Amino acid sequence: MSTTTFDPAALEQLQQQKSGRPWRKKPARFTASVTLAVVIPALLVAALFLTSDIPVPILLVVIYLPLQLIASGIAAWATKGTRGIADSVIIVNAIGASLFSIVVLVSVIGSLVVRGLRALSPHFLFQNSVYISPSTPLDYGGIGHSLVGTLLIVFIASLISVPIGIATAVYITEVRGRAVPYVRFFVQAMSGVPSVVAGLFILTIVVATGAFNQSAFAGGLAYAILMLPTVARTAEEVLKLVPDDLRTGALALGSTRARTVLRVVIPAARTGIITAVILGVARVIGETAPLLLAAGNNDQTVLNPFGSPISSVPTYIFNNVALPYPDAVARAWGSALVLIILVAILFTLARVLGRGRVGR
Amino acid sequence: MSTTEFEGVMELDIEGIEQSALHQVSPTEMETRDLSVWFGRRKVLEGVNISFPKQTVTALIGPSGCGKSTFIRTLNRLHELIPGAALAGSVLYEGKDIYDADVDPVHIRLKVGMVFQKPNPFPSMTIRGNVLSGLKLSGMKRDNHDDIVEQTLTAAGLWAEVKDRLGSAAGDLSGGQQQRLVIARALAVQPHVLLMDEPCSALDPASTLKIEETIRELSKEITIIIVTHNMQQAVRVSDYTAFFLAEEGTPGHVVEQGATTEIFGNPQQQRTLDYVNGRFG
Repeated sequence: MSTTTFDPAALEQLQQQKSGRPWRKKPARFTASVTLAVVIPALLVAALFLTSDIPVPILLVVIYLPLQLIASGIAAWATKGTRGIADSVIIVNAIGASLFSIVVLVSVIGSLVVRGLRALSPHFLFQNSVYISPSTPLDYGGIGHSLVGTLLIVFIASLISVPIGIATAVYITEVRGRAVPYVRFFVQAMSGVPSVVAGLFILTIVVATGAFNQSAFAGGLAYAILMLPTVARTAEEVLKLVPDDLRTGALALGSTRARTVLRVVIPAARTGIITAVILGVARVIGETAPLLLAAGNNDQTVLNPFGSPISSVPTYIFNNVALPYPDAVARAWGSALVLIILVAILFTLARVLGRGRVGR
Repeated sequence: MSTTEFEGVMELDIEGIEQSALHQVSPTEMETRDLSVWFGRRKVLEGVNISFPKQTVTALIGPSGCGKSTFIRTLNRLHELIPGAALAGSVLYEGKDIYDADVDPVHIRLKVGMVFQKPNPFPSMTIRGNVLSGLKLSGMKRDNHDDIVEQTLTAAGLWAEVKDRLGSAAGDLSGGQQQRLVIARALAVQPHVLLMDEPCSALDPASTLKIEETIRELSKEITIIIVTHNMQQAVRVSDYTAFFLAEEGTPGHVVEQGATTEIFGNPQQQRTLDYVNGRFG
């Protein structure tokens, strides 16, 4: 082999090079067969849709999906031979399944928007429902009191369940004490508690004993019971992801175990722990039964978390959606839309908070 | 001068020579006595007796799985964190057994620092934060944090590269820089002994050279114990070498130890000769 050296004369030619993605090039035969495999089933189903009265879901699931599978299989066989068929079956199914979940999500949001948008207005968000009856037109009143109630209750629930949940996760992953299997078992069992049972529990031991009224605090306690297992289990998972190198690294610097957990392990898992909190909030924010029992209902805006029954968005929806007045039903749908937007805002907020990186 | 006087002087001199031979050049900082180590019921190290003189570099060499890393972790009591770990014999630091009931492992780890095989800077902290993390984590009070950051990063050979971006995330540094950062972090708590477990195994030759220079420089102040698979590195950086070996199914033990020049130049055991010449392991 001879030695080659860099040739300056070739430089100009090299500088003319254009960047591309050669791995994306496909033979014409591939493009043609894939196009046919996509177009033919779609056209067939469209024709059936226009000429017959087979219901759309059956058309899609019973006719379109198998047809698409077969067409993709043929296309794959034509371009890659038999080994392409299994590939295409998996890909078509994966795309189909993800499309299905997107369709479900979009239709849920769509139905909320269609039925609830009519109720939305600034006063709907900020006014309460004092002097408002189910038959009052949408020009008056709102769910400000329920929004405040939901936020207050979720805040109280987080205040209780987040520290306990994280502490539980720390016990399981960091302390690794003898009771770990039992703690884990109970956390797991707790995540199976039906929400109505949590509400009943708080109703009996907090409200019925006269310790507290139906209130944001009692509702928060019920929510905390439901949030705790989600927070604890998610936090456990993310703490487990923190590499042991960091723990031994901290200990080797003369750190105590407590400082290692507080200053190294938890900060390293910060994003994940924030996710744990969001998942906990998302788990409870729409729960209705515990609040019907523990928090009650109110048309006024209540800010005192201990004093009196308080409204919340889920209970507001529950109380209005089945009424025989179109405007009340519209308010319920509007509230549901607001609730889903609220969850979206909380998620975004948490993502932004969690993204904050070290340094500038 | 009478004969008796003369004899007295002679005797004294001989004792002096014997003592210096016994204690080598400098007094002992750390030593292990009949140290044996288990994981569960499996004995991984047997009867290790090594002494580490103050302000010297000792290299621990030997094939993978012979217990070098396990050994080094017994010296700062990290070994005990592994479930099922057990130990017999003693590890003396400044003449006192670090496994005595009244010894707090946190104090030992402050005096006996460690640098690991894989760089492990704390991802949630800045470069500066990482250097000072030892002070925060151990609750040690030292003034002039700016000086500490500059001194330790200079000692670790990283200052010039990072002095303008002390506030950026430690994870943004390259592997070699991260390793020098964790060396600086270990130095900030002013340890007397620094354990290094294959500190250069993941680094390129240039970074390796920088770290070796750092080791030579540091050994003027502190005692360094380094595990390495790189024979040339052992020769370049160490004053003393201990050769570990775990033969087929038996626990690891020290085959031969002594001055590095002796171990590499004139080993007494055939196995040592074979190993340092790369004939096995």
